[in-house]
Amino acid sequence: MKKKKGFWHGMDVCVTYVLLFAVAFVFFFPCLWLILASFSKSGSIYSFDGFFPTEYSLASFRRLFTDTALYDYPQWFFNTLFVAAGSCVIGSFLVILTAYTMSRFEFKARKPLMKGTMVLGMFPSFMGMIAVYLLMTQFNMINSLWGLILIYSAGAPLQYLTQKGFFDTIPKAINEAARIDGATSFQIFTKINLPLSKPIIVYTALTSFTWPWSDFILPKLLLKKRELYTVAVGLMALDETEFARFAAGSVFIAVPIVILYFVLVKNMVNGMAQGAVKG
Amino acid sequence: MKKIRVVMIAVLAFTQLTGCGAAGGNAQQAESSQATGTAAGSSVFDGELEENVTIYVLENDTAISKGYFDELIEAFNEAYAEYGITAVDANMDQYLDLANDGPYGYGPDVLYQANDVIMQYAEDKHIYPLPAEQLECYELIDESAWDAYRIEVDGSEYICGVPVNVQAPMLYYRADLLPEDWESAWDENGNQVPDMAESWNAMYAWSLQRHEEDSTKYGYMKSLYDTYFSSGFLFSYGAYVFGENNTDPSHIGLAAGEAEKGAWVLSQLASAMSEECIDDTITANAYSKLADGTYFATISTPDVYSTFFDELVMAYEGEGMSEEEAKAAAEENLVMTTLPMLPESGDLTEENPTLIESKTMGGINGYAVSAYTEYPNDCLAFIEFATSYEMVVKRSEMLGIAPARQDAAETAGGTSELLYQSLADGNIVLMPSIKEVAQLWTPAETFFTDVAKDVFRSESERKYKDLEDFRAGLENMVQQIHDAIFTLQ
Amino acid sequence: MKDIFQRMKDGWKTSSKQVKLSMFIMGAGQFCYGKRAKGILFFLLELCILYYFFSRGFRDIAGFFTLGTTEADAWLGIEGDNSVIMLLMGIFAWIVLAVFITLYRLNIRDALRMQRRLEQGKQLESYRKELSRFLDKKFYVAALTLPVLGVLVFNVLPVVFMILIAFTNYGGDIVPPRLVDWVGLANFRKLLALSQFAPTFFRILGWNILWAVLSTALNYFAGLGLALLLEKDCVKGKAFFRAFPVLAYAIPGFITLLAFKFMFSYGGPINQLIVGNGGMAIGFLDLDAKWTARLIGLLVNCWISTPSIMLLATGILANRDKSLYEAAEIDGAGRWKQFSKLTLPFMLFSTLPVLISQFIGNFNNFGIFYFLRGGLYLDGYFLASDTDLLINWLYNLSIDNNYYCIGAAISIVIFIITSILSLAVYVKSPSYREEDTFQ
Repeated sequence: MKKKKGFWHGMDVCVTYVLLFAVAFVFFFPCLWLILASFSKSGSIYSFDGFFPTEYSLASFRRLFTDTALYDYPQWFFNTLFVAAGSCVIGSFLVILTAYTMSRFEFKARKPLMKGTMVLGMFPSFMGMIAVYLLMTQFNMINSLWGLILIYSAGAPLQYLTQKGFFDTIPKAINEAARIDGATSFQIFTKINLPLSKPIIVYTALTSFTWPWSDFILPKLLLKKRELYTVAVGLMALDETEFARFAAGSVFIAVPIVILYFVLVKNMVNGMAQGAVKG
Repeated sequence: MKKIRVVMIAVLAFTQLTGCGAAGGNAQQAESSQATGTAAGSSVFDGELEENVTIYVLENDTAISKGYFDELIEAFNEAYAEYGITAVDANMDQYLDLANDGPYGYGPDVLYQANDVIMQYAEDKHIYPLPAEQLECYELIDESAWDAYRIEVDGSEYICGVPVNVQAPMLYYRADLLPEDWESAWDENGNQVPDMAESWNAMYAWSLQRHEEDSTKYGYMKSLYDTYFSSGFLFSYGAYVFGENNTDPSHIGLAAGEAEKGAWVLSQLASAMSEECIDDTITANAYSKLADGTYFATISTPDVYSTFFDELVMAYEGEGMSEEEAKAAAEENLVMTTLPMLPESGDLTEENPTLIESKTMGGINGYAVSAYTEYPNDCLAFIEFATSYEMVVKRSEMLGIAPARQDAAETAGGTSELLYQSLADGNIVLMPSIKEVAQLWTPAETFFTDVAKDVFRSESERKYKDLEDFRAGLENMVQQIHDAIFTLQ
Repeated sequence: MKDIFQRMKDGWKTSSKQVKLSMFIMGAGQFCYGKRAKGILFFLLELCILYYFFSRGFRDIAGFFTLGTTEADAWLGIEGDNSVIMLLMGIFAWIVLAVFITLYRLNIRDALRMQRRLEQGKQLESYRKELSRFLDKKFYVAALTLPVLGVLVFNVLPVVFMILIAFTNYGGDIVPPRLVDWVGLANFRKLLALSQFAPTFFRILGWNILWAVLSTALNYFAGLGLALLLEKDCVKGKAFFRAFPVLAYAIPGFITLLAFKFMFSYGGPINQLIVGNGGMAIGFLDLDAKWTARLIGLLVNCWISTPSIMLLATGILANRDKSLYEAAEIDGAGRWKQFSKLTLPFMLFSTLPVLISQFIGNFNNFGIFYFLRGGLYLDGYFLASDTDLLINWLYNLSIDNNYYCIGAAISIVIFIITSILSLAVYVKSPSYREEDTFQ
């Protein structure tokens, strides 16, 4: 009996690892391809032998950071970082606040608000882009990175559903207990719920960072000056013959997110204070 | 706390609102510009330079990256230093849409774009009509080039841009990849120009032969979906884009004349290529594949000559030549010329065919002055400077473009002269300048893709078997363009 | 009607003179009651808003109706009106008006509350106390003001703008500087009259729904499965394995799409391998490739979306009540039972709203086929291809072709259909109706 269980357990571990390696391969291969392409010596994607370049060099990366007359990648990179970081901080704050409120408070406008935001998301977004552009011309916020941050942050609370789902799973009993102890709503939010929601805060921060990080449409619409471009807009403006440089730019833009992930991963998974939630 | 926040928002909104001018109001000082006859230009061009200002100039990326633009503005700024006028790079996207950005103050003062783009602005008066006749270059530029910038408004004619260079598809091929015996076997008229560059029939025959000798090599290669290059084959057999000199969108002429023969020629050419002609693969890889000898020839515009050249130099260097040798060899072997002639019958296998001229779709790039500039006279001065003989010759030397000025074209010689000639002969069909042309691309691309794909379909699935089928396909495409333009209007 | 008048009349009679003062000048009542700072604050607010209305607000509201009277002409130096800006700022002025009225009501109610407190013989609240009461009892108002205002200006306003555009003739030749006009329902009538319209619409709608369902399900279960796989106790180096999907997540979507488009193109590595091994090149995405292109679209979309769902699921799974599983184990429930009876309901409950927003996102997924297979109009479709979703079609019609008003009219039609569908699902869903199940 015991032996059999051991066998099945072994099988299970085996299958799990096989699956994991398969998944890792599926996700890694295109990335690897892009990474190796960025180290291609020839610059053209068509001189590859099958998937991979025949000769490697660091030339693309060197050009990416030194040949900045027309394609000022370092500047674009900092613009992107600025916009993404700004929207991440303000956006996450607003989303968490909205989600928490919608999850914990009963008020007249709640259900209409929930339905309203749901419906708002259904409207084809690019149709509204015309209006956003016009609005920003009226606010004098074309060619302004702060204008981008404003729009990303203002739109962020619409995506509160995920976070609300999370708060819904935190037992209300905790809140009630705290209230009996005399805590105010504000205190309950900051002192009790926020510490419990580390995983979702990390998730929110990550998503509200990556969205501006990789968005192409809005910066394209609002940033007219080359020195203000974000990386996505700049890469799209690259000439078609510059594939290796395109790949190098794409690879490099992924670096901060990967770093961010490794820094945050612990918080995200182990963030729950186990003892506090057995309600 | 909440109230403070509300105040802050109100104040914020309020300061933002006062920052922007409200439209409307005093619009009465409309001096009607008394424009009579041709090319009067707007009354804002009073000849008095606005001093101590900066004007923003939008150039194309190649001109900037090859350093020509720097030299241009440097020379201009030096020449106009006494007036305190400085021209700077607008540093914006070369495909910027003035109609979207100009009205709100985010466009450049002077812009360099293609004629079809510039003239779309002219329709809605986003750019100023120019006093072209006063310009030094007026007489030196062919009428047909000026025509590309002419527009009729309320009975008078205006010129809204100054032509700089002619853009049309050119044939690129490698002279060192010709068969050894080409002078005896592939030069029937003995004029020292290989037949492949003179007739599509010879090009087709050579393409088949080259691929047969080595299955990894090809002769002529081009992505066929590209309407800019493929539509020329239809034009050569009598097709045109819109009626009444490209101004009447209700009349679409892509199936007119014997256009089906042009489609057939494309299909025959495709049969000598690989599947890569179906999508954009060849467009993107032609530079490196021509350099490594996989392709013998392709077509592209003259402004990418330097890209082909650089790739070829790199390839030669890879074969062990020194940099000097490689450059000399590339100079000699990379040939850019006008397109070969077509058989009147449309049959590329015909022996001793009657040949007709190839027509191509082309464009004329030039400068225009934004109607939202505050310094129109400076802008005009800049254009005059940039279209002077010296600057255009320099442009042609540095970028390989074909000047629209006759004297500059003669100096540049070679291809530039040929192109100038084909423009004057009417072999370059200019892109229409009306908005409706935007509807042309997708239906046309779909048709050309279909023609290319058809060659590689199995016998039973083939859609285009004879000229009738091509005609039906063309008519279908014309119907789609018509639908795209009119159904929703 | 009469009742309201009666009540207003009563309210007027019973209110003190300070409250009456507040009805005319915001903050005046508060000021007289001794709450000077508050009074001045209200008054300044009123001044700001009034300044806005007199400087441009009233003109904007008038512009909303006229949409401009003078056509601009740069050649003649006529500045003219910009109709779309007038429409937009008109809507903005309405929003400011609404905010103003809300503030005004707030001001009167505040004065009334002061009056009542004094009548009951109580002291007026100190600012400190008022603030803490506000943060406590009305926490949701304090918390939601900023998000709601932001959404109102940058999300609702554009949508309202587009909806209104459907009732104008904006588009085609009529773009600024030409003047736009209100045309009523003309655009909708045009849609009904278009015979080519209906077949394409239903063909695309069918594929669009199929696409949204399939891709949502695929992404969701792939993401959840991956998260569960990584949760298993036997897996060592979780962070390592989790890093691969995150790597995919870190590369911007449009780059991924362009890369995949290249991979599947005729000159791409996959075809190179096929041809190199003596096969015929396969047109994965060309114009005959209806179902292969659709399948590739599904898989590529899965590749792009799975990592974020995996991250989300990981976060939520961490929130599971572990004691339930221990209990289940003791009761002898197997792995599958635990999954279907505990994990799945829990996940579905806490992610169903996400599932719906994923569904909407996929339904309106513009980028995927635009980047993978743009630029085709196929037979049997009116200005669309067989992989196009409604949003791509809309793009072809409205942006490519500049017909903003028709595009807006179609988006309203699509919008009504889709929002009814998803609202129905949403309102019926347990996470909307029984929010307390897991609490």
